[in-house]
Amino acid sequence: MDQLNLIIPELFLTTSIMILLMLGVFYKNSFNLIFKLSTIVLLATFILLFNHSVDTSATLFNNSYTIDYLSLFMKALTLVACIFVMLSSFDYIKLIGINKIEYPILILSATLGMMIMISSYDLIVFYMGLELQSLSLYVLVSFNRDSYRSTEAGLKYFVLSALSSGLLLYGCSLIYGFSNSTNFDLISQNIDQFNTGSIFGIVFILVGLAFKVSAVPFHMWAPDVYEGSPTSVTAFFAIVPKVAALTVFIRFLYVPFINLVDQWQMIIIFISLASMILGAVAAIGQTNLKRLMAYSAIGHMGYALAGLATGSNEGIQSAVIYLSIYLLMNLGIFSCIFMMKRKDIFYEDIQDLSGLSKNHPIISVCLLVLLFSLAGIPPLAGFFAKFYVFMAVIKVEMYTLAIIGLITTVISAFYYLRIIKIIYFDDPKEIFEIDKNLGLKVSLFLSTIIILIYFIYPSLLIDMVSNINVI
Amino acid sequence: MIAHSIFFYFFSIIAVFSAIMVIASQNTVHSVFFLILDFISISCLFIMIGAEFLGMIMLIVYVGAVAVLFLFVVMMLNVAQQKDEWFKGKFFTSHIPFGTLISIIIFLELIIVIGGWKYKPNLIETSSIQIDNNFTNTHALGNVIYTDYIHLFQLAGLILLVAMIGAIVLTYRKREGVKRQSYFRQVSREKAEGVTLVDVKSNKGVNLND
Repeated sequence: MDQLNLIIPELFLTTSIMILLMLGVFYKNSFNLIFKLSTIVLLATFILLFNHSVDTSATLFNNSYTIDYLSLFMKALTLVACIFVMLSSFDYIKLIGINKIEYPILILSATLGMMIMISSYDLIVFYMGLELQSLSLYVLVSFNRDSYRSTEAGLKYFVLSALSSGLLLYGCSLIYGFSNSTNFDLISQNIDQFNTGSIFGIVFILVGLAFKVSAVPFHMWAPDVYEGSPTSVTAFFAIVPKVAALTVFIRFLYVPFINLVDQWQMIIIFISLASMILGAVAAIGQTNLKRLMAYSAIGHMGYALAGLATGSNEGIQSAVIYLSIYLLMNLGIFSCIFMMKRKDIFYEDIQDLSGLSKNHPIISVCLLVLLFSLAGIPPLAGFFAKFYVFMAVIKVEMYTLAIIGLITTVISAFYYLRIIKIIYFDDPKEIFEIDKNLGLKVSLFLSTIIILIYFIYPSLLIDMVSNINVI
Repeated sequence: MIAHSIFFYFFSIIAVFSAIMVIASQNTVHSVFFLILDFISISCLFIMIGAEFLGMIMLIVYVGAVAVLFLFVVMMLNVAQQKDEWFKGKFFTSHIPFGTLISIIIFLELIIVIGGWKYKPNLIETSSIQIDNNFTNTHALGNVIYTDYIHLFQLAGLILLVAMIGAIVLTYRKREGVKRQSYFRQVSREKAEGVTLVDVKSNKGVNLND
């Protein structure tokens, strides 16, 4: 127990959740207070992460919980993303009337679940973290219970996610049965490729994880859930859980299953290719911005997984960079969606953006930068993200993956450019009311500026990520 | 050893069969019955490997609470045409043999397992898990759950908390215009705020302001 100071951030977050819950229950109509306190709690947790030195690498609780550079980086990323989502969605939550104290508390508990997933080094700890995160997300998706679409999205997500958790758990039990342990280190020592049962287990676990990152062919839930749930939850969904899911992917592939690279590499390559292709093709016909972002998320997870498929440290680092930049772009796009409001009604169709440049030139420029970056056009950050991934892929001579990836990039550029065309060349619609909300503006401008000037000083992010050495 | 394998396969086959029947059966009530059969078979398997605590918990929690709750929910739901079918008409011809069959299987399973566990301990000892006979199952579980696995135990508690919050958020509705009783206010009411003395003039009546 002498290492308990390593998990102070988690302990602090847990205690805060309970204190805030008590405060919210006994102090009536305290949504504003609880929401602001939750943001402060997230910020404090972020600061507490740096309580121990960055290079610390330790395992706790009989090797079932690990603190290392990867977990630190991913936790920091999760918390920062979460803070910005909270800041930008405050007005939206109040306007559509889901301002109950449980909302920020569920966000906090989902974040706690993700932090545990990120640090897990044991099948049981991982599953517990996953359940804590998913259970909070189920409720968040159907939070606007008076809206049929939100309820439908919640039910859909619950049923499918519970199914995938079941598959994941089955995979875990197979792995436990064949390797005699739930600990990642011991599993990697005990399984080998001649063990058909453990390969089955890996397949089931990968299916469950692919569901969580909404990779093809387990992506069916994503568009409906993104569209149906309240936009504030969609923003959270599109940005924050991806970090935890990708970290778990890295951990599973490169710690317990490292001896079976040949077996899982094929699966990851297939998932990655299928996601890139579907993300590019299926998004073309979409008219709803949130739905479009869902397909775009599917495609982008495909690129991140391409980095993981390489089996090299460089590939992992490129995937992490890709994810960080993707989060930033998504944050900007969702801030714009939060701004599309007239007379307290929010609009989310692509056509509502028509002629935006006449009325709101600054927001249009921000959207232009973000969409160009999503499409991967140099010299914006999105280009570098794709560049690192494809470099890593080419280095291990997976040319098919790289070529198909590049082709899908070109295809997906079409629908990003179409939005830009609608913004700049179509007839203007009614003017949007722009809020005075500082958090929203800060998130939008900060993300745009970072994406715009990333190329000046790219080594900042690269240096941070280059310390991640999983293998 | 042979007896052990026979029992193991007996229970596993029933467990797998009833699990399939849960999703294959057309009648929802039958599905719930099969679910109960499945839980009981699995708890028998637990008892066979010497984890009698888990087996019993399985029976109490899943069969005693969850499955019965399911049964109630299924019966409460308006399962359209099945409803009439269930309460009258072919009731005696179609459901009694079916129910009896499942009950008999469950009864046999319980007799075999509890009988074997109670009167012939060596029947069950062939499992590969090492069990220290000085400890009871519950004791051994308690020993690790509060020490080695304390973080998981706490996490499970947190998950239950989130589930509770979720259930409340999604179902609680604030009703308007409900008059609630407040004992404190009721008891602490004084004569001064409840009673007004009015000087009534004859032929004028009383003018009340509420």
